[in-house]
Amino acid sequence: MSYFSSHFATLGHEFWGLLVGGIANGFIYAMVAIGYTMVYGVLRLINFAHSEVFMTGAFASFFLLKFLVGNSTPNAFESVVYLIAAVVIGGVVGALVALLLERVAYRPLRRRNAPKLAYLISAIGASYFLYNFVGKEFGRINLSIDAPYTNNTVFTIFGATVQTYYIVIFFVGVTMLVALDRLVATSKLGRGIRAVAQDAETASLMGVNIDRTIALTFMLGGFLGGVAGFLYSIPVGAVYGMGFTPALKAFSAAVLGGIGNLRGAVLGGLILGVVESLSVAFVSGAYIDVVAFGVLVLVLLVRPTGILGERLGRSA
Amino acid sequence: MKTFFQNPRVQRSGRTALILLLIIVMTGPEGSGTQPTAGFTGSFGNHMSFFGLFYPQRWVVFLLLTLIVVGLTSLVKMAHRWWIERQRAGNNAVARVAKTLAATKQRARHRSTRLSLYAVALAFALYFPHLVTDQSWQTLVVQDVLVYLLLALGLNVVTGFAGLLDLGYVAFYAIGAYTTAWVTGSLPTPPPFGVHWNTFVAIPVAIVFAMLCGVLLGIPTLRLRGDYLAIVTLGFGEIVYLFINNSYGITGGSTGTNQIPFLSFHLGPIKYLWGLIPEPYYYLTLAFVVIFLLAFSSLEHSRVGRSWVAIREDEVAAESLGIHPLKYKVMAFAIGAASAGFAGVVTASQTLFVTPPTFTISFSINILVLVIFGGMGSIFGVVLGGLVVQGFVAYLTHSPPSIYNAADLYMYLGALLVVMMIYRPAGLFPSRRRRREVSQVEAGTAPDTLQVEIGAHRVQEDV
Amino acid sequence: MKFRLNKTVAAVSSSALLLMAVPAIGFATASSAASKPTFTIGYEGPLSGGNAQLGINMKWGVELAIQDANATGKLPFKLQAAWFDDQGSSTLSPAAAQAAVANKSLVAVVGPAFSGATRSAEPFYVAANIATVSPSATAAALTTGKVKNNFMRVVYGDDVQGAADARFLVVNRHNKKIEVIGDGSFYGAGLAAVVAADAKTYGAKVTTESYPESSSCPPGTAPTSQYTALATQIKTSNPGAVFYGGYYCDFGLLLGALHSAGYKGAIMSGDGSESTSLISGTSPKTAANGVFLSAAGGGSGGNFTGALESQFLKISGGVTSATALYAPQAYDATNAIVRALLKVSTKVPVSKIRASLIPALHTVRFSGVTGTIAFQSDGNLAGTGAGQIDYYQVKNGKIVQFGHN
Repeated sequence: MSYFSSHFATLGHEFWGLLVGGIANGFIYAMVAIGYTMVYGVLRLINFAHSEVFMTGAFASFFLLKFLVGNSTPNAFESVVYLIAAVVIGGVVGALVALLLERVAYRPLRRRNAPKLAYLISAIGASYFLYNFVGKEFGRINLSIDAPYTNNTVFTIFGATVQTYYIVIFFVGVTMLVALDRLVATSKLGRGIRAVAQDAETASLMGVNIDRTIALTFMLGGFLGGVAGFLYSIPVGAVYGMGFTPALKAFSAAVLGGIGNLRGAVLGGLILGVVESLSVAFVSGAYIDVVAFGVLVLVLLVRPTGILGERLGRSA
Repeated sequence: MKTFFQNPRVQRSGRTALILLLIIVMTGPEGSGTQPTAGFTGSFGNHMSFFGLFYPQRWVVFLLLTLIVVGLTSLVKMAHRWWIERQRAGNNAVARVAKTLAATKQRARHRSTRLSLYAVALAFALYFPHLVTDQSWQTLVVQDVLVYLLLALGLNVVTGFAGLLDLGYVAFYAIGAYTTAWVTGSLPTPPPFGVHWNTFVAIPVAIVFAMLCGVLLGIPTLRLRGDYLAIVTLGFGEIVYLFINNSYGITGGSTGTNQIPFLSFHLGPIKYLWGLIPEPYYYLTLAFVVIFLLAFSSLEHSRVGRSWVAIREDEVAAESLGIHPLKYKVMAFAIGAASAGFAGVVTASQTLFVTPPTFTISFSINILVLVIFGGMGSIFGVVLGGLVVQGFVAYLTHSPPSIYNAADLYMYLGALLVVMMIYRPAGLFPSRRRRREVSQVEAGTAPDTLQVEIGAHRVQEDV
Repeated sequence: MKFRLNKTVAAVSSSALLLMAVPAIGFATASSAASKPTFTIGYEGPLSGGNAQLGINMKWGVELAIQDANATGKLPFKLQAAWFDDQGSSTLSPAAAQAAVANKSLVAVVGPAFSGATRSAEPFYVAANIATVSPSATAAALTTGKVKNNFMRVVYGDDVQGAADARFLVVNRHNKKIEVIGDGSFYGAGLAAVVAADAKTYGAKVTTESYPESSSCPPGTAPTSQYTALATQIKTSNPGAVFYGGYYCDFGLLLGALHSAGYKGAIMSGDGSESTSLISGTSPKTAANGVFLSAAGGGSGGNFTGALESQFLKISGGVTSATALYAPQAYDATNAIVRALLKVSTKVPVSKIRASLIPALHTVRFSGVTGTIAFQSDGNLAGTGAGQIDYYQVKNGKIVQFGHN
């Protein structure tokens, strides 16, 4: 009993700080989870190599910021411009890598109508290839990002300090997620994606170009994944193996929210981020990954459809 | 212009060129965060020896090598065509040779021929340490070939026979290794009954423990199918890893175990301490490889093996025939774990320390590569694939050529997986049954039982 | 455009094959001193992977020493080096050690470089009676209680460093509340334990945490949330100083997280973090500013000078010994082995030389580049009690030495 009360005391003490950190992580998970959920929606497969999309996005932003910022201290205007540039380059490179993955690791298999497991194995191979290749070309040590802003405390909420970093994550995350939601809900491309997710054969009869739609789905997911990689790497730097753990967590988030469901992915990401962060009060931080994987295993065993169930086909 | 790019020959050449470029860069020097282009420019600009003949820039070497390879392939193709043509013409030397070859092939299928082949292979394996006397080689053969072979055989039971992709297979290997440390009293946890047992005692204990854990992990997870199972096993593998890496009081945490004693006999007057010489480890491991080979191949053709095939091909149909899928799947997990448990004992007792980094997910992937490369479900294929891939890896570890960096191993293994999935999804030496399954799924004449299914209650909704 | 590509290519490539078949003319090297036996000095350390640079520095030092020794022409034997790459990992070092043991002409080993790797490699060296002289493995437990240890080191152990660090934080800097974090590695946890124990004796209130290095940082999985959470905790409990026992890679991650959390107290780490990679690996780089570091031995006189330095520059391709951390130590370690070899009879089988080298090394005493090199029975550098520990601080992205204990 005292074990829990003392831990709840810790929780009370640090609650708001942990909550803020958890929400920030949650946005990152959500953005990566979207990639899993969209690909799952159209192809019914787990894009195992999405973690490397995440990682390459971070590297792209790293090199851009190294070029733009270097050792200078940007002023407010420059900060915003550089930040947007870094977000865009991270996203674009993420999208390109995702496209490349689709072309090299998935499309040949799709042409043959290969068994589902073959996709997963191919994706695992692609993932291992990519991350070790990046390690070889750009070194195997942590590379710190030249952040385009100075990390200050912006305001305090219930004793928890909110830094610039969290504000950046919040703005970028919300913008991306809302934009994607609108895109999928209203645009022609979004309709195509939903149609393919619902029934690929019928969609193709209705004139939807399946190959193109699938490629664009990968790219959209890849864009968000790349941006998430950049955001994630700001406080920790970029390193070639950085993708695996956060991506597996993001996948857990996608499953938690209900795989195939866009809003579910966001919800799952935020819940997972917060739960994980708050659990620090109860378990040692070293075990924090166990929490996320535990959530994954539990959800799959207890309620495989997740919180919101599968409904990408609907106007989600 | 568009038609030019659609010309299959142009496309093929383009693809070859791209692959060549990739290989040049893959085998090139390393770059770094401060010099991100160094790896790429060095890949083309650096000089390297061309068979010791001259010392041109790398791109020249690769161009020449490609020419040689392409040339040789076309030579072989031409020879093959010539052979077929002559054979068709009939009544000449070629036709006669072909006939003899076909007859030999037929005879090779014969049980007795096969058995004698196996005997020759076994004799070779027994003689091997006298052939290769370099001890560092022998150690590598035990640790990098035989141990991996054991693991591949076990994973083949799970993935090949029962069709369950297990990405956390390394957990059983870890359990084997840590059980060894526990039994011999090399963990912070006191050994069973407070006795520091002989390492030999660890062998049965580790195998039984690994199998038990197979059952324990299998019962909750094996209700899932396809790639969901793969991800959950991956999660479990990570959890096991995190547990052993963090539980200082139980497993020694990230520092690893205490020193595990060398294997030793102490039976009355017979005393034998296994020290640094790898030979006894080789024979011990080889003996168990043979035992597991025999056990698994007899299982393959038993009732259990046939049930696995049934479940793998169509779980619903198998269930309707009265086969309890969960029971047989858990059985596959447990049986597959056995050889991993033993492999753990070998590693622990020969490297004397067990540290968590051995048991990361990457290791599971390495084993998966062996199974996929040789041919899922075919014991012969897995053994051959394991020998080829791990033999090559051992060679690279022992005397790395200048273009190979040990840290790049997984880059090559990853690429190998993709290539296999694109060109030979059933593996290089697949069992006939497996090859048929893959082609049936691809032709759409059999259900893809590996298809993901999210539980029973998949929500159906309309637009 | 229909031409038989195949035939053309076949023709070209068969001529290339013919070219290949021309046997390369043997470049027989003149074997002048055939009478002199050749011995191998092994080096075990990281030569690939994330910690490769540290190992390569040492490799240069070993190369320089062997080149020097052979160049004198007075030795009754020839020396050559053999490299055993363990990537600094305790998982790979048994294999590296086994390979070293199997080398028929190997007499002794410089290394292993890392403490954890040393711990898992030593049983093999012990069983084969091979002396190992490490330029950099500092974990205290490697020498504790050993007699006539086959493992020796030319740097001071972490008990010295940890005591100096604790004194610095508590006595010099007047911190009464200290949080000590270990990375769970053999080296990091050991150092953290010494610091925690000594800080307590100096009267500070100490809390300890153990955070295993991110599945060994070099392979690269960086669990930020782990350090984010820790940093939040530290910010809340707000100790006067944080000490981290571990390597630069994880320390950099922790620094970034502490910076994000807004922790303003003193931060210190040991020699495992004393690397320029610490600064390039910390996000933002400014988060590393003000951090205190300590490193054993060395001092201002620890680098090569004059002709030795210019020789070194040739080997290293322009990297100075001041930047090549541990290169001078590796040079001294190799020289210790060479001097011991001169003391023993080399006319016996290698296995005998190996065994006789261990006691011989314990009697070696000479003035090396980094200071006086002589070993105690437990393998520690002689004079360890008064060992010098240098203090550094990161200032504007540079590691600057500002004093010693």
